[in-house]
Formats: sequence, C-alpha cells, structure tokens
Amino acid sequence: MNGQARALIESMPNDIGTEAVAPLSFDEAFTLHHRAVFRTARAVVRDSALAEDVTQEVFLRLYRNLHATPGEDLLRAWLLRVTLNVARNTLRGQSRSMVRDNEYHKTATESGSAAVEAPAEDYERRMAIEEARRALDKIKEPMRSCLLLKQQGLSYREIAISLSLKETNIGSLVARGRKEFARVYGKIGGRR
Amino acid sequence: MTRCLDEATLQSYFDGELSAQLMERASTHLASCVTCAAAARELAEETALMTSALAAEFEETVPTQALRERIDAAVLGERVASAGRVEKLGLFASLANVFSFNSQRTLGYASLAVVLAFGAILAVVKFRQSQVQPSTTNIQANVTTPGSNQPKTPEVGSNQNQQVASNAGGSVAPSSRPVGKPTGTRRPSSAAPQTEAVSNHVKLIPGERSYLQAIARLDSTIKSNKTSMRPSLQVEYERNLAVVDRAIAATRNAAKSNPNDPDAAQSGNPSTSPGRRP
Repeated sequence: MNGQARALIESMPNDIGTEAVAPLSFDEAFTLHHRAVFRTARAVVRDSALAEDVTQEVFLRLYRNLHATPGEDLLRAWLLRVTLNVARNTLRGQSRSMVRDNEYHKTATESGSAAVEAPAEDYERRMAIEEARRALDKIKEPMRSCLLLKQQGLSYREIAISLSLKETNIGSLVARGRKEFARVYGKIGGRR
Repeated sequence: MTRCLDEATLQSYFDGELSAQLMERASTHLASCVTCAAAARELAEETALMTSALAAEFEETVPTQALRERIDAAVLGERVASAGRVEKLGLFASLANVFSFNSQRTLGYASLAVVLAFGAILAVVKFRQSQVQPSTTNIQANVTTPGSNQPKTPEVGSNQNQQVASNAGGSVAPSSRPVGKPTGTRRPSSAAPQTEAVSNHVKLIPGERSYLQAIARLDSTIKSNKTSMRPSLQVEYERNLAVVDRAIAATRNAAKSNPNDPDAAQSGNPSTSPGRRP
C-alpha cells in the first residue's frame, strides 16, 4: 500500500525537486518554474496563446519584484499565486471572446471539422483534455484550484500559500475535490 | 488498535504530508484495518483516474522556447523603459521641476487674483456706502439747516458761533443756555455743568432757535441712523460737535473773564453777566 502510494506520487507530473539552495536568479526561476506557470495558466484560461500572455505577465512581475519575492522554497507558490490572479483577470477581460471561442469549439467538434484538419491522435487528446476540463469545471473553488496545484506537484504548504488557505485544510480539500472529480468524470464517461 | 483515519488524514498520508510519527501510526493502522485499507484503495484509484484524466492537460507541450523569447523581449523592453525613465529624469529634471513649480505658482496666482477680486468688490461696495451715507446726511443737514447752521466743519462751527455772538449782540436776552442744553443731553461736555448750574428761564434769539432746531433734528436723524452709520463718519460728526461746543465754551469764558468788555458781555450768558454786574 505504502509503496503504491509512493509510486503514484512519483508518477504525478511535476517539475519539482531540482531547486537549488542558493537564491534563484531570474533565469533560473524561469527555467525551473515556467512549465508550472504555463500549465496552470492554460488550465485556467484554456487557451495556449492566452496562457503565453499570462506566463509573460507573471515573469515580468517577477522581474519587477525580484528583490521582494519570497525565498526560493516559496517562489513557486508565489509564482502560481500570481499566475492564478493574472489568469483569472485575463479570463474576465476575455470572457466575451472566450464564449465565442468555446462556441466555435463546440460546433467544430460536433461537425468534426477539427478532426479533418488535425490527425486522429490530436483529436483524441483534445477530447480527453475537454472531458477533464469539463469535469474540473464542475468542482467548486477552492477545491478545483487545490487539485490543479496538487497535480502540479505542489506541497500542501505551497498550495496554502498560493490560495491563501490554511495548510491544515488542504488535505481535506484535496480529498473532497478528488472524490468529486472521480464522480463527475465517471458520469461524463471519461473512465477508460 | 488505533482509531480509523479520517478523510483528510488519509489524503495527507497518501500525499506524504504527515509528520514522520503520524505517518508511522497511519501505516500501522492501515495494515490492520480493513475499512481504512479499502478507503485507501479507493483513494489510490481515484487519484490514478484523476492523474490520467489530467495527464493530457498537463502533458501538453510547453512552448518553452517561445516563452523564453517572449519573456526575454519583455524584460528587455522593461529595462529599456526603466532606463529611459531614468534618462528622461536626468535630462528633463529641471524642466519638469520648473513645470511643476509653475503649476504651483499658477495656483498661487489664481488664489491671489481671487483675493484681489474680492478686495476690489469690497472696495467698490465700501466706496458706494461712503458716498451714499454722507450725501444723505448732508442732504438732511442742508434741508434742516439752511444757511450756515451746519455743524460739519470747525470753520462752520466758529462761523456759527460768530453768528450767534453777532445775533446775541443784536438781541436783548442773548443766551447760550439752550445751546448748552442739547450738547449736555448729547454727552457731558465742559459747558454742560455750567449751563446746568444756571437758571432755566432763557429767551432765544431767532437765529439761535433755528440753529438749535437744526442740531436737534440732525441729532435725532443720526441717532435713528446710528446702526447704519459708519463709525468713522460718526466720529467725525461728534468731533465737529465738540468743536462747536468748545467754541461756545470759549466765548462764554471770554465773557466771564472780561465782564466789562461790551462785546463779550453781549455774547455772554445773560443770566450770569447781569448777576455779576451790579
């Protein structure tokens, strides 16, 4: 059981565990954390181009506040906190275009025009992403953000800092979010 | 046997977030508790499901190269912008200071202009008041005192006295008593006690009567207008009256000190001079 849990943890996609002890330069911070920032942003804004905009903004803020950012151990939490804020603001600003985009996506997937352009592999992946996103959409905050950050490999402490929550509540939130996700995702029919 | 693990503890155990001691205890419990082992199995399954479901999302390629270039460019732009700001500050610091100072100064000028405008308005209003009030009093004085019976200036006052004296010279019973009476009621003057001391039976000469009437009317008019009268004007008025009173008193003193002088005796108090004169 214990070994299985460890294996599962290790199988989670993450890019942690390589942080150096010395304070990070801007380049090092980018190299270490740009993936987590970009993925979190894309999970929120659901658009690669917008996620790039968000990532750029986040790292510009890091550059401007390099002297005031927390130490290396909490830098990722700080970056993802900023990422969530910027991404949500971007979503608010882009809400109209996002609606158009989603509608376009819906019609495109229904008519199958996207599948004609893209290879079958890409289509399947896109469908898998869409199903997971729909399931995530059904989960309430802050459990959804807890799951997102947990899947990025953040510790409870980092999640608590990123979301301004109590660290002692994170375990419960992750458990409830995970159960809810399994329930919703099973209903959607994503279980494979 | 320890207590069963709650949802949060099991999740924390699974995520490796428990302390070493709690980790050990939970591990021991899970090995012996069927219920918690089942819950842990379910947790593992759900986590696996979620991980695989989100794998597509998180395994999507990250455009590291594109991000790197974008962010480098943005940071460069930020550097240029901040450098530009510093340079701009260095070059145009004095000019900017002058501009900011000028804006402050403009504000100062504006407030000064407002103050000046207020001052001008006040001056105009006061000028109009000072024009209106003296003219009305003059008109009243002129209406009530035709001729030279206007106690406006010392010259006029002395002329009056001379006139009174000359009139008294022509009359049988010249008297300064009625003249002293209004001044005495107006305010205590040097002449008042003397005139109070003398008897009440006095005959007025015709010119003196009109003069006294004029003074009485002027006095009542001024008293009724006292509230609207300017202090400076009032002071001037009272000063003029004081001059008149002094002139009268001087004439009387002259008559007293020279009882043998016929001119002074003529203008002096008839009630005293006859009494002294055997």
